[in-house]
Amino acid sequence: MDKLTPPVSGSRYSVIRAIIITWMTLVILGAFLLDIPRMNILEHTARNLYFHVPMWFTMMSMVLVSGIYSARHLASGSRITDIRARESARVAAVFGVMGLITGILWAKFTWYSGTSVWWNSDPRQSMAAIQLLIYGAYFFLRTTIDDNEKRGRIAAVYNLIAAATVPFLLYVLPRQMESLHPGADGNPAFSEITAPIMRAVFYPAVIGFIAIAWLLYRQRVRVAILKENLTSD
Amino acid sequence: MRLHSGRTSWLRATVSVFLKDTRIEWRSRFGINLLVLFVLSSVFILVFALGQDTVERNVIAALYWIVIIFAATSSLGRSFISEEEGGTVLLLQTHVPGSAVFAGKLLFNLVLILIANVLASLAFTVFINATIANWPIFVVIVVLGSSGLAGATTILAAIIARTGNGGSLLPVLLLPILMPLLLSVVHAMIAALEPGSSWNDVGNDIATLVAYAGTVVTASVLLFDFVWKD
Repeated sequence: MDKLTPPVSGSRYSVIRAIIITWMTLVILGAFLLDIPRMNILEHTARNLYFHVPMWFTMMSMVLVSGIYSARHLASGSRITDIRARESARVAAVFGVMGLITGILWAKFTWYSGTSVWWNSDPRQSMAAIQLLIYGAYFFLRTTIDDNEKRGRIAAVYNLIAAATVPFLLYVLPRQMESLHPGADGNPAFSEITAPIMRAVFYPAVIGFIAIAWLLYRQRVRVAILKENLTSD
Repeated sequence: MRLHSGRTSWLRATVSVFLKDTRIEWRSRFGINLLVLFVLSSVFILVFALGQDTVERNVIAALYWIVIIFAATSSLGRSFISEEEGGTVLLLQTHVPGSAVFAGKLLFNLVLILIANVLASLAFTVFINATIANWPIFVVIVVLGSSGLAGATTILAAIIARTGNGGSLLPVLLLPILMPLLLSVVHAMIAALEPGSSWNDVGNDIATLVAYAGTVVTASVLLFDFVWKD
């Protein structure tokens, strides 16, 4: 098998990493220290907005990256595209799990405080859960095929079939379930309920979390390439 | 069966694959027996589990489609594994275009799922006292739901035939992908069980089912060669 060239981790990467770390430190300080308007039910849990929502944006962008690399892998068959599809799916799954946990805890301490409800079958929550099940199946499928080349191809096909069916949930779920999220089911829109000060932290947080995902993804790809070069002969 | 590569038109190749599977099935009757017994035994589990109380329509609708989906995973998962085991993959690969193999298998699987639906609707009527109030809606959603189900099952059956441990993998891969279909078909099924329901109640669901079946089959035809060819 051809040796893969590991991406050069040059000084530019270190600079970008330093910028992202500083950026996120400021975002987290702002998230916890800045004063926010107290709203009924939400109170201080509204700060979760800075963490919960960016998790979803990050997950969706990594899902997109994974789908694109799966398609590119089928077109080219090159090893690196399969590694990129796999690692972006892995990062997407991590952010998906964190998005679910932050969402469940948020609902538990607000609308469902004092009840035994953990899961509320919200359309977005359900969709995320299904996407995680798909990635579970995707990684499980990968473990059952030994041949590198075949594994990449079959897994890419599964990833793309799944990517073709998931958008249907956007149409189906909101018709059958009630939503807790803003902007759905006559709930007030996002812009109506967020104070300017919150948006000033929220948008940088979105950028910051996506940047962290990119860092993680890039490092995972690098490790995967090095590992592969060491284990293959 | 004679197959002339090049001269065989795509449609004839598809029909040949379908007839070949039907003939093999007719000789062993393995798949159909499995299907009949699976549907009957799962309906009897439901009979005992539900007891003699009247069951709500939405519960019946959900159970009905769960039975159909698991019947499909248990009996259709073998469609491509049997080719691998019989050593006939190479023969099909050289004589028939990949998309024709897929279409033939899809047709065969669709027939099996429709048979499962006929059985399950009889069994649900007789043993669980489910009344199908609106037959036209029921028939339409069964045909559309089965098409989508057959499409997803066929491509995944091709995928699992390429893995190390065969059939056991199918439900894990299939269920998350079927979620949109399951949600719409169960929703429409509740309407079919309800007296006085009209087409307006199921318009959205039928649109979703048509689009779902179309998308899955199109994506599968496009991607099938990557799974099928080495």
